[in-house]
Amino acid sequence: MIQKRNPIDLLFSVITAGASFMVILLVIGIFAVLMKESSLSIERFGFIKFIITNEWNPVTEVFGAAASIFGTMVTTAIALMIAIPIAIGIAIFVTEIAPDFMKGPIGAAIELLAAIPSIIYGMWGLFTLAPIMSKYIEPQLQKYLGNIPLLGALFEGTPMGIDLLTASVILSIMIIPFTASISRDAFNLTPSVVKESAYAVGATQWEVVRDVVLPYSKMGVFGGIVLSLGRALGETMAVAFVLGNNHQITASLFNAAATITVTLANEFTEADKDVYLSSLFHLALVLFMMSFIVLAAAKFLLFKAERRSNV
Amino acid sequence: MNVGSRRKAENIIALFLSFLAAFFGIFWLVFILGDVLVHGIGALKLSLFLNDPVPPGVSGGGLRNAFAGQMLITLFATFIGVPLGVLGGTFLAEYARGTRVAAVISILSDIMVSVPSIVIGTFIYAVLVRPLGHFSGWAGAAALAVIMVPVVLRTTEDMLSLVPWTLREAAFALGAPYYKVIIQVVYRAAATGIFTGILLAVARVAGETAPLLFTSFNNAYFSLNMNGPISSLTATIFQYAMGPYDDWHAQAWAASFVITATVLLITIVGRILISWRLK
Repeated sequence: MIQKRNPIDLLFSVITAGASFMVILLVIGIFAVLMKESSLSIERFGFIKFIITNEWNPVTEVFGAAASIFGTMVTTAIALMIAIPIAIGIAIFVTEIAPDFMKGPIGAAIELLAAIPSIIYGMWGLFTLAPIMSKYIEPQLQKYLGNIPLLGALFEGTPMGIDLLTASVILSIMIIPFTASISRDAFNLTPSVVKESAYAVGATQWEVVRDVVLPYSKMGVFGGIVLSLGRALGETMAVAFVLGNNHQITASLFNAAATITVTLANEFTEADKDVYLSSLFHLALVLFMMSFIVLAAAKFLLFKAERRSNV
Repeated sequence: MNVGSRRKAENIIALFLSFLAAFFGIFWLVFILGDVLVHGIGALKLSLFLNDPVPPGVSGGGLRNAFAGQMLITLFATFIGVPLGVLGGTFLAEYARGTRVAAVISILSDIMVSVPSIVIGTFIYAVLVRPLGHFSGWAGAAALAVIMVPVVLRTTEDMLSLVPWTLREAAFALGAPYYKVIIQVVYRAAATGIFTGILLAVARVAGETAPLLFTSFNNAYFSLNMNGPISSLTATIFQYAMGPYDDWHAQAWAASFVITATVLLITIVGRILISWRLK
């Protein structure tokens, strides 16, 4: 600046800068604190060995995260398998097919679904969905798919409703609106000129979606999916009610299990020994790193998608 | 079948499937909201707001402690999180506009918005609970504030960026220093947007449970002491729903109803404000 800088202005700029650097401090702080707190566990079990050890025993003080990580991955994977096609279907409906008077209300309804706190999903899952699953859906799955070799192993055991499958279904219901609204935004980036020219040569609505909109927005949709993956990895309350917190790696989806988040939620305040608490911090660190990497990747993809549509 | 009718058939099937997907999404919304409404309203009594919890089996208990605690925690989280978020967003959109630092902070905030909230709970536990030796309402408020800051920061940045640069130039031309331009011109122009961002951030943290479980913990007694464990609606819902008593379940539904209605109301007001402003 040419003028001498106004002192109040300097002060204001320093204050605002401080506030925004808080974010960097927080990220580094969280990482450093979790590192420090889990040092005891890292020392005793090793960072990598902790991840692949399948034993979680507070009595003998041997801790490994494999079962929790397994639960996190399985619930996330199944939730995404259910959520992605439905979310994309919703996005197609809202952007391309629905008559104008329906677009607004449906879009708003989907976004309201995204605003409901996750604990409501969890409680609803426990009281409403789990009984439905154990009474109707799971016995049917067992009846029709249980005898197929290999696939049948997924549906073994007594359907109790408190298991991996129910948790995954709730998780999927929870991320559908999120994935749908990002996909919708990605679809909306398609220039209407391109769509109109496809219609002009006689393409049907589905052909426009399949051959114009989807290819054009695939990067954005993919970014949205990765973002949903990051969300699903760290979701706690929606699954805490219906997973049973049981540290085991099982083939059957009808078994109780644990995720990293569920283990933390259930055991953090009960950890009476230093190693126990340190192992829980170690779990939190693993989760933080996993979701940070996934979310960063999603940001990168969405950034590229946005830049591409600007050229 | 000729090509034309096959294409038409394909079209109809695909459109029908996507209609089904949309129907499926709305179905869950109605199912969940309906369930919360039916169970919640049935259990909603005046005593819920006026009485404190009583031992299981004794009738007439309420959740006064949880309502009070939830309000205190959310209020203080807002007092801490909003100024930090608004000021931080101001730096990104004004003083650091277009710089690399601003881009990095902006991306980090976006990531922080989606970082698992339970991890933030463990962080605050290590920083504020263990060193002091006890759970506290302050720790809960701090955890929620950490979640709020990036949300408010990003919406503030976006809203300030929408204010046309020429408006600032007009103020500069009158000789106003930058801070005056920001406070008296830019903030005013973006006020509705910033306010909406704050509303949505409040709605977001009001339903948070995971970060409160090991920061503010829970308290079966009425307490306004932010320096000790304090009850919150969400933590109480978790405890009551997992508990074995029917009375607890009914109260958990009622509390869920109150929290869902509040959060949805705030969200709807926010959306109306934003669409009204962008018109």
